[in-house]
Amino acid sequence: MKIAINVLQALALILGGPLVRGIVARVKAFLQRRQGASIWRPYSDLAKLFRKEDLVPPTASSIFRVVPFVLFGTTICVASFVPLVQPSALLASRGDFFLFVYLLAMGRFFLSLGGFDGGSSFGGMGASREALVSSLAEAPFLLSLVAVAILASHADIAGMVAWTMQQNIFNISAVHILAFTSLAMVVIAETGRMPVDNPTTHLELTMIHEGMVLEYSGPRLALIEWASAVKLHAMLALLVALFVPWGMASSVSVGAIGLALILYCAKAAPLMVLLAVIESGMAKLRMYLVPDFLGVASAVSALAVIFTILVKR
Amino acid sequence: MILLMPLLIALLGAFVVLGFRNPRLATRAALLIGGLEIASLVVIVWQVHERGALQVGRYLRVDGLSSFFLMNIAFISGLVLVYASGYLSHTGEGRFSSPRWFYALVFLFLFTMISVCLSANLGLLWIMMEGTTLASALLVGFYNTEGAVEAGWKYLMVCTVGIAFALFGTIVLYLAAVKAGMNPPAALNWVSLMDAVPRMGLDPHLVKLAFVFIIVGYGTKIGFVPMHSWLPDAHAEAPTPISALLSAVLLNCAMYAVMRYEVIVSHSVGPAFPHTLLLIFGVLSIVVAGLLILVQRNLKRLMAYSSVEHMGIIAIGLGLGGPLGLFGALLHTFNHSVAKSLLFFSAGNVRHNFGTLRMDSITGMSRTMPQTSAALIVGGLAIVGLPPFSLFISEFAILSQAFTQAQYFVATLFLITLSVVFGGFAYHFLRLLGGEPNSVPPSSKLIPSEYSVMGIAALCLICFGVRVPHLFSVLVQEAIAVLR
Amino acid sequence: MGLVEIATGKVLSSFSVFLFLTILLLVVARRISTSVLLFSVQSAIIAAEVFATGFRERLAEAYVVGALILVIKVVAIPRAFFGLVDHLKTSHDVKASTTPTQSVFIAAAMIYLSYAAVHSYGQSVHVPEDALAASVALILTGAFLMVSRNKALMQMLGLLVLENGIFLAALTTTFGMPLVIEIGVFFDILIGLLLMGIFTFRIRDTFDHLDVSKLRRLRG
Repeated sequence: MKIAINVLQALALILGGPLVRGIVARVKAFLQRRQGASIWRPYSDLAKLFRKEDLVPPTASSIFRVVPFVLFGTTICVASFVPLVQPSALLASRGDFFLFVYLLAMGRFFLSLGGFDGGSSFGGMGASREALVSSLAEAPFLLSLVAVAILASHADIAGMVAWTMQQNIFNISAVHILAFTSLAMVVIAETGRMPVDNPTTHLELTMIHEGMVLEYSGPRLALIEWASAVKLHAMLALLVALFVPWGMASSVSVGAIGLALILYCAKAAPLMVLLAVIESGMAKLRMYLVPDFLGVASAVSALAVIFTILVKR
Repeated sequence: MILLMPLLIALLGAFVVLGFRNPRLATRAALLIGGLEIASLVVIVWQVHERGALQVGRYLRVDGLSSFFLMNIAFISGLVLVYASGYLSHTGEGRFSSPRWFYALVFLFLFTMISVCLSANLGLLWIMMEGTTLASALLVGFYNTEGAVEAGWKYLMVCTVGIAFALFGTIVLYLAAVKAGMNPPAALNWVSLMDAVPRMGLDPHLVKLAFVFIIVGYGTKIGFVPMHSWLPDAHAEAPTPISALLSAVLLNCAMYAVMRYEVIVSHSVGPAFPHTLLLIFGVLSIVVAGLLILVQRNLKRLMAYSSVEHMGIIAIGLGLGGPLGLFGALLHTFNHSVAKSLLFFSAGNVRHNFGTLRMDSITGMSRTMPQTSAALIVGGLAIVGLPPFSLFISEFAILSQAFTQAQYFVATLFLITLSVVFGGFAYHFLRLLGGEPNSVPPSSKLIPSEYSVMGIAALCLICFGVRVPHLFSVLVQEAIAVLR
Repeated sequence: MGLVEIATGKVLSSFSVFLFLTILLLVVARRISTSVLLFSVQSAIIAAEVFATGFRERLAEAYVVGALILVIKVVAIPRAFFGLVDHLKTSHDVKASTTPTQSVFIAAAMIYLSYAAVHSYGQSVHVPEDALAASVALILTGAFLMVSRNKALMQMLGLLVLENGIFLAALTTTFGMPLVIEIGVFFDILIGLLLMGIFTFRIRDTFDHLDVSKLRRLRG
């Protein structure tokens, strides 16, 4: 029964990705005093893309064709590590937070290759920028997860969540606050949101993620867009699960699961609103300032790790 | 009560002086108020001499040590006010467009400094010490030139940070007292602390930590190296009467604060620790200041570094302790203030007549400004510690104490620095005074207010150098009694 | 009033974390207004701490001091700063001499240093280590801000952060000093800030800029 719940969790993450994107876009529109599209719009966008023709540039190699599938595959795997309504996950295993970080890295790596392979100069530019951002974001990403793992004495995300659930909600832990700050900054960088990258830009010179996917079309583009939506959802779910997991179902009953689902939505909602507020409130950082942004995240996560020593003393 | 009189006179006097828009009336009012102020201070000193320590309420108290410093304030502020009345009137050119603000700020400054000496509560002491910084900041930047504004900003910043560290030291001492069982309101009261410290054991770590912060914090105001960076700028860019007040009175008040803490700490953890710290800062100050005196190009900066050096000497005297050391240190506070005032007054004349203080652009002063040159010679000989001037007596006392205590290293450094400083001053002053004059100053005559105070100061230096008056010596002994 | 009890307990045990966060954010802030806002948040946290201490220790004086902090440091001083920035017509840039990455690593090192320093003294004084470490870290941060920020206004802010740290140290170790002294200290800080404000105007008028690193006429 637990395994069925885990499968449903993973499916919810995967299918709910575009919805998260839609909600964030709608909140942003509201903040910017626009009407905004409906929150289900990303789904119709995906459907539309799946029906369209798949054009491949004549100069592209087989890597170009393979990239969307690799990206989607790694993102689905990553989504299976994150607990949603109960403190366990489909593919949970010891050390899976390393896999979390590096499967995402693998997906990004292939996307960069695809960007180069497409043959357009904007693809190459986006790919090289993505390489800078992701290499700088890797350290804080890993360090904040490591800090939480050291505290929890568990090496898997599900285990960390279970440990956190047993703690008193009012004992605010310095390590967790620092790790949350750092991880939030990494989420912004990894998922290509403002202030690191503008997901709605149409100016190619400012694109990072969009630049790499310029040459894709049809079902391949749909897969890539879906993968990035799932990535956003998975990382938000990771933030919720690692730092505020209370309310997750401890027993496998319909009532508990239902309550956990509602609580998850209640916890994810403020995060999405916060993301929209940050996106609307900050201007995009110029490229040479992004290392400073991620440098701050690195220092905060390093401090989190140092604090685990102080806490455990 | 008579303790409140000088405070009230100074505070109200500041506002009263502001009311006189006419500069001459303002000056007369300032002189009158200053006279009242000095009279009230003299009365207090006399009362303490007759009857011993006096206390008013929980916050104000005067004993032998305070009255000694009050006498210092009285004497120097008298000289400065008389000098300033003349100086302000004939250094017009729109700079001193409002002498009433000048006098008001000076009285506020005096109010804070007198409060420092009258505080019985260490917290009040801190508040008033910070008050001295605030009251004098505008005075330092009074001229509103680039140099003055920069000096005023630096003074304000560095001294406020230093005083903040002194606040931390005060808090740590308070913590130690409260932890040892003292009643919180009494734990900042100097008399209660002196009472309680031998009986209750204050945590030695905390007391030592407190003293470190106190000496660093208040040492910033004293001008110990390496916290002295504000001193040359502030003393050089301020108007001459203010430079004299800063060098001669403010530094002494800060030293007074350190003395108060030193007694408590010595009685708590033994004299070795505070004395070592005082010796370190003292030696560091005299060595660095002595070396920097050699390379000065601005006359007032030269004197400011000399102040740093002499504060180092006082610290060494305090750090050595013993009857001769304390006698020398206390006497030196007074002698140095008189000599430094004389020097600054002469520098004021130089500035007024030559328009600059750069020593390499002035030569042959002995021909063109004979009276000021005489003052400079007297002041210079006094400040380097030559007999028959008073500084020789105090420095000799400190030196003898050093030899008695077998502190040969300190004594040697002291002697070497004295010779270096003598050489420096000789070099600078000979260039100033000797040789052919390179420009004729507009007016080389001193006005009565100026030469009278300079004469009094010089006379005082010589008299005290020949023989310390008995009454004065008694006052010093009463002060020392507090310190033991 | 069980809820208030719990709230004060949690405030007392966890406020230092948020102070560390404000420290980290202060050293990377690039605009004066952001720094002033962070200082305001910091003072609010300290005021909460004062109220919590007053509730737990039953000290009436603590409420007065807490109210003073709220009025002066959380509202009045930040407002004055914003007014100063407007009137001085100066750029909002902080003119930091270190990059944000360097600054935040220095801040992390300072936090670690303060824990190390407190650890050796923590045995003799029975206070929560976190609170005392937070106060030492605030003092170090204030000093760092004064040294590394080249704008006169930022030096004033660094001084205020330093005073915050000293006040917090007094609060955690001795539950504050006698009320009269506290009020005197506040008064001093206010007058000091007033004077510094006057001086910034003078600096701007005399030098036409507020960059203190260029105030190097007097040397030697």
